[in-house]
Amino acid sequence: MPKSWPMCTDMSMLLELQMRLRRAVLGGDTVEIVAAIQGDGLDPAARVGIYRHHAFATLGDALQGTFPVVCRLVDKRFFAYAAHEYLREHPPHSRCLVEYGADFADFLASFAPCEKLPYLADVARFEWALNIAATVREATPLQAEMLAAVPAQEAAYVAVRLQPSLSYFASPWPIDAIWQANKEDEVPPIDITSGGTSLEIRRAGEAVSWRRLDPGTFEFRTALADGLVLAAAMAAATLKDPAFDLTAALQHVFNDGLAVAFFVSPEQETPR
Amino acid sequence: MTKRRPIPSCSVGIGLRSPHVSEIAATRPAIGFLEVHAENYMAETPALDRLLELRRDYPVSLHGVALSLGSAEELDRRHLCRFKALMERIEPLLVSEHLAWSAIGGAYLNDLLPLPYTEASLHLFCRHVEEAQEALGQRLLIENPSAYLRYRYSPIPEPEFIGEVARRTGCGILCDVNNIYVSAWNFGFDPAAYLDALPVDAIREIHLAGHHAAEDVDILIDDHSSRVVKPVWELHAAALRRFGPVPTLIEWDTNLPTLEVLLDEANHAEELAYVHRYVDAA
Repeated sequence: MPKSWPMCTDMSMLLELQMRLRRAVLGGDTVEIVAAIQGDGLDPAARVGIYRHHAFATLGDALQGTFPVVCRLVDKRFFAYAAHEYLREHPPHSRCLVEYGADFADFLASFAPCEKLPYLADVARFEWALNIAATVREATPLQAEMLAAVPAQEAAYVAVRLQPSLSYFASPWPIDAIWQANKEDEVPPIDITSGGTSLEIRRAGEAVSWRRLDPGTFEFRTALADGLVLAAAMAAATLKDPAFDLTAALQHVFNDGLAVAFFVSPEQETPR
Repeated sequence: MTKRRPIPSCSVGIGLRSPHVSEIAATRPAIGFLEVHAENYMAETPALDRLLELRRDYPVSLHGVALSLGSAEELDRRHLCRFKALMERIEPLLVSEHLAWSAIGGAYLNDLLPLPYTEASLHLFCRHVEEAQEALGQRLLIENPSAYLRYRYSPIPEPEFIGEVARRTGCGILCDVNNIYVSAWNFGFDPAAYLDALPVDAIREIHLAGHHAAEDVDILIDDHSSRVVKPVWELHAAALRRFGPVPTLIEWDTNLPTLEVLLDEANHAEELAYVHRYVDAA
């Protein structure tokens, strides 16, 4: 037991007390804090345990709400264990719980007990993309005609800003099929070796939708989403699809309502 | 409707939870006001759109759970800005927060952790209430927490502390009657004496909710998962006698009942308000 306990007669002592309680709630080690807590007929550590239990239960529920299929794939008890380990190391920064879990997929990818489910982290990435689409409103799409104002010699340097709800995500596993099958009461058989997917996930009105893209389109749109100018995005797409048609691809971007702004970015290096 | 209607002092509201939204929108039951947790509506979800529709017909009260006014560090300005942005869209009649802290050092613990009640923490808490009121442009109501621990060095009694916060900052008090009952049970104090120690003029809202007894220890857990228990109704009646009519909310956040059950609880609170107004006061 520590010799002293913060009496909070000043701000630094209060900060110290709160940091100690934070460590006890997240880490479970109450040694630093118990001396500051009145027993009132109960072990102070048990009193801290009530808060700890609440924090882990509610934050675990929030993760489960965002990653329901991950939870189903590993079963509830294992998910609670994984969520617990994640929470200890990665407590939320945002105070809106729908925004919690951005790096849960990365955590699962390196979480040894999950290594027999190589597609699990990608399912989590897909569910995170669905979550973004569900919580970000679509902006007013830009009309293709707006691009006509760009002088021809600058067209290669145009960068297009895409809808904020969009995510692009590729996996060596058929993640969309795995996800869809696990939304059913009776999970139909899935051939997980049926090949990978390149997905576009977005908000459409109130709904969330996704679709598979061909390799050239996926590469092109991913490059635009990363902020590359048209010439660079086209070069990336052509590597995947030698017959890639920039004019048609750009038209589709506008027709799908994906573009919300554009700007000319001559300082960005473009391939020659 | 753009003009904001005040919440009548005798009105009873319910906490709005998503499984009840469609039924409320379809049947438009008589409810005094709807209260929502601010943090549940800061993202651009369809739920926000539903709330914006309901607010045309019901006064809305915004209940913050994460401003963490008791943290021994600066307030989260980004979160305050989001709170303010939501207020501008909802135009809430009441805005409340807690006498607690929930975040420190960049970690949000999603729990209402207790403060030690000292001169230093009083000074800090008042400064944060003032900063929040200024940033939000609205008087806050501060709710007394339910608690499972108290600190060895905490010389100011809680009702005195919250009363002093109200006096120094001009904020109102959200008197959670169930929280008083839960804390009184957990620490062995007299809940009626707590009520008597609160400043009558500062009370602007009352919360009522259910709780449950922990399995292995003699502790009550404030989990908003059941009907309000009889002793809490009795304490509420005492609160009405002391404070007069105050907008009252039924909170039910987990293990949700049907809307019918929730409205039945609200009806009971309305009956009590009626009894107080026309019988007790006579």
